[in-house]
Amino acid sequence: MHEKDLTYDILKEIFNIGVGKAANMLSEIVGKKIILDIPNITILESKEDDEEIYKHFSALPQGALMVSSMKFGEKITGEANLLFPANKMRIFINLCIGQPEYMNEEDLNFTDMDFDIIREVGNIILNSIIGEIGNTLDISLKYTLPEVRLFNKSKFEIGLKDKEEFCILLLYISFIIDDVKIEGAVIINLTIDSLNELMKMTKDIEDDLYG
Amino acid sequence: MKILIVDDSRFTQLTTAKLLKNQIGDVEIFFANDGEEGFKKYKEFNPDYVFVDLLMPNVSGQQLIKLIKEYDKDSNIFVISADVQKNVREEIESYGVIQFINKPFTDEKVKLVTKIIKGDTYA
Repeated sequence: MHEKDLTYDILKEIFNIGVGKAANMLSEIVGKKIILDIPNITILESKEDDEEIYKHFSALPQGALMVSSMKFGEKITGEANLLFPANKMRIFINLCIGQPEYMNEEDLNFTDMDFDIIREVGNIILNSIIGEIGNTLDISLKYTLPEVRLFNKSKFEIGLKDKEEFCILLLYISFIIDDVKIEGAVIINLTIDSLNELMKMTKDIEDDLYG
Repeated sequence: MKILIVDDSRFTQLTTAKLLKNQIGDVEIFFANDGEEGFKKYKEFNPDYVFVDLLMPNVSGQQLIKLIKEYDKDSNIFVISADVQKNVREEIESYGVIQFINKPFTDEKVKLVTKIIKGDTYA
């Protein structure tokens, strides 16, 4: 699918609305204004060569990554992952508990409460993005409980590429909160059937426009 | 007044409790980490209001609402959920909850809740 396609534009708009709502929710959590960059979407499939896939993943944040994940189904099945650099999450946690100076950003010894905060924030953001797809396409999605893990970037990439067949929707997002720029990504793994279903539904919206 | 907060996030439990205490003042708050514990504590403490998350382990919020409504059809339930889907909201609202509120729970939202609770109390 080419970026000039209307189907791509519709898909991008669905995600933009979801990310915009998520940013608004983040702003409510930390009580600060959030300046958001509008994300672009890349669709990657396992049939593409490694070099192409590597090129896209090379823009992921470096070092330790905090990854929040949720699986979803039924009409569309997949897993949504929210990735942020772990050190930036320390700043974010400090803001969530209303104590900006609580812990130094280099301190990556996360407590159970820290993980709980990130799990809950991931839950809110991913629900907002995935839920918007459900709302636009008028389908009900069921979620699993959110999980949070710390990954080294290279291990996370290997884990994704090890899967025999995959379709990935990759969205780079960046926002500025309290003068700190936080760059992350939303990676949505879909089954091939689900990607086809999603594209079909998006195409139906496009056809309706001309209907 | 007794309030039961059922949520698997300790962060959300504490934030919700703090906001409610700040607005309502004289309130006794109980916590449960999932629907199973929530139903047990509902029967034990008979709270005036329950705040229920939907996505929880063991017994989900949706199942908990059904259990509480079967046990006590006059129960007062607020839902606080990250789920933004219209279909989900409509289904949950059909169970007779007072209000479906999207997370995060904020000052503005707690004021709305307090208004409803005070309306109930003084009606």
